Amino acid sequence: MTRLVEVPAQFDDRSFDQFAGAVAQATQDGERLLFDAHAAEWASPYGLVGLLAAGQAARGTGRADRPLLTAPTQAEVLTYWTRAGFFREAAELFEIHGKVPRAKAADDSDVLLPVTPVRAAEDVHSVVSKIQERSSAILASKLGLDPKATMGFAMALSEACQNIVEHAGTGGWVAVQAYHWRRKLAKRVVVIAVADAGVGFRHSLEPTQSKRFGARWSDAAALEAALIQGVSRFRDPGRGQGLAGIRRYVTRWEGKIAIRSGTARIAIVPRWDDDVPLRDGLPAFPGAQVLIIIPEQGSTKP
Amino acid sequence: MIHHIDVRAVLQESVSGVYADLVTRPTGRVVRERIERAMAAAQGDAAIARIDFTGVGCIDYSCADEIVAKLLRSRPAVLVLTGISDGHREAIDPVLAGHRLAALIERRDGTLEAVGAPEAAARLLADLVARRLAARTPGGTFALTLA
Repeated sequence: MTRLVEVPAQFDDRSFDQFAGAVAQATQDGERLLFDAHAAEWASPYGLVGLLAAGQAARGTGRADRPLLTAPTQAEVLTYWTRAGFFREAAELFEIHGKVPRAKAADDSDVLLPVTPVRAAEDVHSVVSKIQERSSAILASKLGLDPKATMGFAMALSEACQNIVEHAGTGGWVAVQAYHWRRKLAKRVVVIAVADAGVGFRHSLEPTQSKRFGARWSDAAALEAALIQGVSRFRDPGRGQGLAGIRRYVTRWEGKIAIRSGTARIAIVPRWDDDVPLRDGLPAFPGAQVLIIIPEQGSTKP
Repeated sequence: MIHHIDVRAVLQESVSGVYADLVTRPTGRVVRERIERAMAAAQGDAAIARIDFTGVGCIDYSCADEIVAKLLRSRPAVLVLTGISDGHREAIDPVLAGHRLAALIERRDGTLEAVGAPEAAARLLADLVARRLAARTPGGTFALTLA
């Protein structure tokens, strides 16, 4: 028997909880999953790497067969998912149904980094090197970021990817894209999305932090400890710098960071956004999913 | 005597490929250990280690911590950072401030500037002057007395 998981038509961080709920419900009895993206109209980088994480989790259940994925039917959606590097990674995780165009190099300037696997420190080096080649001009000219901020962007990307290498216990994916965000800001933004289906923040921090929190220990408490208090699972006093650095960077450039792990989601919310700082009791989803948004500089009206 | 360490060269000996960025903890650890070995070999001769970041692309917070903060904590010699870009400072400054440490940056004109925690920076400069390793310049800034 196969359990159906509908991929939201507009698949981004806002609709991710709906997707996570469908995944949680469908995985209850260990049946094979079918991720149905045939009606997908749009997916953000967060949606794409999140879908890969769902496939990774489904493959980790011990079933011999791969989960199924029906590809989007709209030609332009398929083209975009291909250009963004999604199907190259998805081919290893899913049995894909539907006509998928042949992969082309992401020559579109908006795809600053196609969906890229992150498994080891070497991958982080490669990601940082590529992003600096491709993004410096776009960040400065199209987003109006001070040239100094472009190196900060690479730093933020590096630290977000290192979270996978150091804490997930498995591989994950990163994607970076610039686009015009008409719906929310009417401005250009650059978005970093990182996702894995690893152990998540709560499990990673549990050995060193759970006693301190006692009965309050939860996914939300773990996220708060990591992002707000800068704690790390390592006892080395220098640890915890990465997320603290990302937080400083996004605050300085009126950006946003949101991290979802397990049943909780935490965000540093800029004034142009109406997200909530902390959500608990969300549908469980394995690993961690990180979203970083840096808007075009200038007035950012809510 | 000043011991000169070319970080980009150390980086390229340390990681495979041709990466010019100091990113990730493992890379930072390997680079720091090589720097420590080089400094240990020169111990006794060198009062100051000039750590040159020229040609290094991005430094992330993890590497700033793993290299600069940990070298400062072990204090094998007085550290002076050169070839530091604005981008490098973005990582190094907050990491050192978080540890209540300070380091000296040598600008292109030879003058010294402290980064990190202000109290630690003031102590560091005072210590260097007391040891006659640095002196106040006519312009009111500080510079190393050794070449």
